[in-house]
Amino acid sequence: MRTALASVAVLFLVPTAVLAATAKGRVVNTQDLLNPVWNEAKDPNARRYTFREPASSVPPDARILRGHLSKELCLVALQDGAQPLKTPLRIKISGGRTSFVTLVVPPGQEIRFENHDPTPHAIYEVSGAGGFTKGNMQPDGARSWTPPGPGKYEIRDELSPSLRAWVVVEPKAMKSVYPNRKGEFAMELEPGSYELRGYYNGEPVGEPLPVEIKPAPAEQQLPNPLKVGADKKKEDEAKKDEPAKAGG
Amino acid sequence: MLLSRFWYLILSFALGTAVGVLFIAQSYYNRNTERWMNEALAADASAVGWYLKDDARNRAAALLPVSLAPKIREALAKANESDEVGKDTRAKAKEGLVKAIEGIPAEQKFYAVWAVDQDGRVIAATGFEHKDDWNIGGHAVVADALAGWIRDDTWIFKKEELYRVVARPVERDGGGEPIGAIVGIYALDRGYAQAVSERTGAAVAFYALGTQVWSYGPEGFTSSNFEVLRTDLKEAEVTEEYAQKGRSKVRKPRADLGFIYTRIPGEAWDLQSGYVVGRQVRFIETPQAFFDAADQTDKDTSPTYVLVGIALGLGLLGILFSVFEHTLPLRTFKNEAARFAVAKTDTLAPSRFRGLYKKIAADINDGVDKVLSKGGITRRAADLEQVIGPLPAQPQMSAFAVPGEASPPSAPSAPGAPPAPAASGSGSFQRPPVPEKRVPAPPPKPSRGGMPAVPGPPPRAPEPDDEAAAVSAPAAPASRPMDELAEWKLVYEEFLKVKKQCGEPTESLTFEKFKGTLERNKAALVARHNCSAVKFTVYVKDGKAALRASPVK
Repeated sequence: MRTALASVAVLFLVPTAVLAATAKGRVVNTQDLLNPVWNEAKDPNARRYTFREPASSVPPDARILRGHLSKELCLVALQDGAQPLKTPLRIKISGGRTSFVTLVVPPGQEIRFENHDPTPHAIYEVSGAGGFTKGNMQPDGARSWTPPGPGKYEIRDELSPSLRAWVVVEPKAMKSVYPNRKGEFAMELEPGSYELRGYYNGEPVGEPLPVEIKPAPAEQQLPNPLKVGADKKKEDEAKKDEPAKAGG
Repeated sequence: MLLSRFWYLILSFALGTAVGVLFIAQSYYNRNTERWMNEALAADASAVGWYLKDDARNRAAALLPVSLAPKIREALAKANESDEVGKDTRAKAKEGLVKAIEGIPAEQKFYAVWAVDQDGRVIAATGFEHKDDWNIGGHAVVADALAGWIRDDTWIFKKEELYRVVARPVERDGGGEPIGAIVGIYALDRGYAQAVSERTGAAVAFYALGTQVWSYGPEGFTSSNFEVLRTDLKEAEVTEEYAQKGRSKVRKPRADLGFIYTRIPGEAWDLQSGYVVGRQVRFIETPQAFFDAADQTDKDTSPTYVLVGIALGLGLLGILFSVFEHTLPLRTFKNEAARFAVAKTDTLAPSRFRGLYKKIAADINDGVDKVLSKGGITRRAADLEQVIGPLPAQPQMSAFAVPGEASPPSAPSAPGAPPAPAASGSGSFQRPPVPEKRVPAPPPKPSRGGMPAVPGPPPRAPEPDDEAAAVSAPAAPASRPMDELAEWKLVYEEFLKVKKQCGEPTESLTFEKFKGTLERNKAALVARHNCSAVKFTVYVKDGKAALRASPVK
């Protein structure tokens, strides 16, 4: 059974002498998050299909294309003194995307891209500043890369246009996790003060959430959800107000 | 020679026109062939595009029974609840998938079909082996299907070949978000190219990453023509039409070959991938090439016998014109000249000839006259009719005619009609000249060759020919000046007298008419012989009164 804590955690090596606690929480306001690749693919002018039509048996309110949070929304605990892992961070390339789509890592973190597709890939860093040039990856092949410094790096694949990933080098990136489809997440953290932040498409989204992790208990439920977008109610009210303001 | 010359001209114009028409036909043919090729290519490109779209729709519809298979739906629902998908779940999904795809029509069979859960994980597959953790949820077509949409896509997959992809959602019982998707892929391989070609009539090739992958051409178009694709595509890709609209204009990698490139919608849009349709035509380099380009059927449709008949007819007509205008007059002249050479005739009668021969005969006659005159010999008085042609009976000779006579009047000559040939033997030289003799009654008949006149036959009804005037050799200038009108009066009276002696009617022959005739004949003789005057004498010819004209130098 899929649990709420099935999210994938990425642990970074942090000097510690105390036991870590598991902080549990949830993200909200995810309704506007959408992979730009999918968003562009909806546009008829993008020439990504010859026909695209709704399945009549699926209700219109369920027929909404949304982001795949468990692959795309990176939740980061920010604190000074983050250090990279000693082992490479493995990123799978499979089925038209990387798992994960957005990575937030501390400086010096080595990333290993592995091709799990039956077809070749040729990924590269778009700006050229990252020093990650095009290179062919045969099935089961791999390439390693260490981002040169803080910043955002976009990764694309010359052979698979739908593949688009972002690597964010953040000096305070103590730990990163990904929520499940319901928006629930669990994060192992040392006791202390952190700031939780969501990253989507390589950019911070929503509002930062300050959290205080205590030494006990082992599982600590975060009192407030992490907002990764605008409140839907406020958004709806704002939309309602706009015509009135315009009229007034 | 007028007809012959015109005939040569007509034939030349006809030949020039025929050659010109061939050149025009060549240009027209080539222009229309190119236009036809462009239109056919545009139609082919559209037809292939429509086929791809229609085929994708049909295949998406063919996946509907698969998406409704109970085992698949149960397996997907179960997979969505767990992080790890159990083998029994996968086996159940596979069993349902294999059974469901058996109902897909043969022409819509897929290379591979996948059942995908909400996370994009491939739970079951047919036709393609993969790892258990394979996830294809990153593709937009799968994401769309998981969001409740039916659509297609094009991937470059496996050995860098093009694959068309269709996906549709697997609906949850009772509605709500789909619990998964069914994804089917089929290769744009040679078999597919053949199917496209057979249904659209187009020669088509699919290319991926700028390289031809598979192609098929109908009869008359070899697939090897697409080998120029690699180099030509690079040039097409930089054109605005191809880059922006996804379809190139007609390109001609070879003079006889036309291509239209079309980018294929889907992920492959940005990967130098698409399809190209081609047409091969034959242009006519020269008019002669029409014969090489035509096959036996074309040649059989040509009206060969009619064309040969026309050619023979035109040639025969030309020969006839040549014979009529060249050979016959020359032969006549030759014969007359031969007769003249052996003195069977004393002069070349110009009236017997046509065209230039008439002038040549007159010049020869003049030359002979001058030579004779140098030798002290004068020509015998010539028959006026022989020299200037037959004298018209009406109205000129009306002065000699008697209205109401028994014999029918001769029909007037038609204006412009060629002069009738002179009577045989009517024109001759007479050596030495015989002095003119006033004819007593009964009038003697003038003999040929200057023989003395003999008495003629009994008077009979006058005939037009009998009234013909004659012209004699140049007479010596008159010894005493004489009033011409008075002289003509005397001639008139003598003419009346002789006519009466010959039993011819004279009632209608007035002096005025008589004088008019003399004036016209005098004018003709003066112009022809360049003489100063003409002397008319009366004599009897064939029992009728006749006039003889003699030029006076």
